[in-house]
Amino acid sequence: MTILTQLVTAFAGSLGFALLFNIRRDRLFPAAMGGLLAWGVYLLVGPLVAWDVPRFFIASLALTLYAEIMARVKKSPATVFLVSASIPLIPGGSLYTTMQYAVSAQWEAFTTQGMNTLLLAGAIAGGMLCMMAVLHVCHRLYLLLRQA
Amino acid sequence: MCPHPDRQAVDYANEYLSNALSIGEQMLRSGAEVSRVEDSIRRICTAYGAERVDVFTITSSIVVTISGKAFGTVTQTRRISGLQFDLRRLERLNELSRLIAQHLPPMEKVEEALERIRTTPGHSFPTQLGIWALISASFTLFFGGSWLDAVASALIGVLLKYADRGLKWLELNGFLAALLCSGFGGLLSFLAVQWGFGDSVEKINIGNIMLLIPGIMLTNSLRDLFNGDTISGLLRFLEAVLLSMTIAAGFVAASVIGGVSV
Repeated sequence: MTILTQLVTAFAGSLGFALLFNIRRDRLFPAAMGGLLAWGVYLLVGPLVAWDVPRFFIASLALTLYAEIMARVKKSPATVFLVSASIPLIPGGSLYTTMQYAVSAQWEAFTTQGMNTLLLAGAIAGGMLCMMAVLHVCHRLYLLLRQA
Repeated sequence: MCPHPDRQAVDYANEYLSNALSIGEQMLRSGAEVSRVEDSIRRICTAYGAERVDVFTITSSIVVTISGKAFGTVTQTRRISGLQFDLRRLERLNELSRLIAQHLPPMEKVEEALERIRTTPGHSFPTQLGIWALISASFTLFFGGSWLDAVASALIGVLLKYADRGLKWLELNGFLAALLCSGFGGLLSFLAVQWGFGDSVEKINIGNIMLLIPGIMLTNSLRDLFNGDTISGLLRFLEAVLLSMTIAAGFVAASVIGGVSV
């Protein structure tokens, strides 16, 4: 039940941001599906990887692949799908907890949680960059093979 | 480089450079990455006949120097302020820059198209209210809030949008506006739970925080950093961190102060 709620709200939240960022109407559904997919992958790799940082990294890889494919299909910049699909992964909750520790002057917990937030954001960014690099290499190889 | 560049060629170069900068400026403000902006400007100027194009972009400024035999060397800079994610505008600007590089339309056409893109209105205010409510409610549920929390969060989201508009109208310093807006949100969620309209202050807050927190800015800044656009990355990273600290502090402080005084 919680899983279903999370998936549905991941979709709705991404849809909300897609609307907020003024995405074209025919791109709304695929953009919101990206959010669902990102969270779905995060949940799927849960039994294999316990730590959140690699889980976010893998989810980010998947969502970037999805965004790049959709960008080709819909002929629009990948950013359009990347930004709205990454919304459920954005560590807003973790950031909030970090600041809660700061306001209540629990500095050790603040540092730990702050590092965690940064690592999560880094994992998302890293996943995006890695998948983009892989796709770039694939594209170059494809061009090379076509020439030969 | 010729010693006496042709006056007409210089004027022409200035004109297309200015338009290329306008496109770059709009792209950056709509949320494009630095590398995309630089790439677009370079492509447009090359298409119009510049032999060498040097673009340097950071989040708050674009500097371009172009040179060619006909006009010598021309430099223009543009100060960029304000970030307003608008992906539809970004897509249209992208299309426009591609069209320019391919078909070299006359300057009046380019200016017209730019003006049209710039003046296309976004969502109406009531629609925006609906969107803010949807996002708040979704993330309150997403982070494990109850249905009652979600309803409270949606209503607070609507009120926050009004507060946001009021603060924009006052033209306050960005950080102060963020602090006030989030403080208002924290106070409302605290009052809601006090009056039995909601179960958890924290869950309601998290839904509202997702609206205000620059999470995308944070992720994008790291992407810029790893991409080698170090200055832009650092600028946005610092801005995102300061802003999110302000926002979270506003929410938490309001609830803590409320909790102490009641």
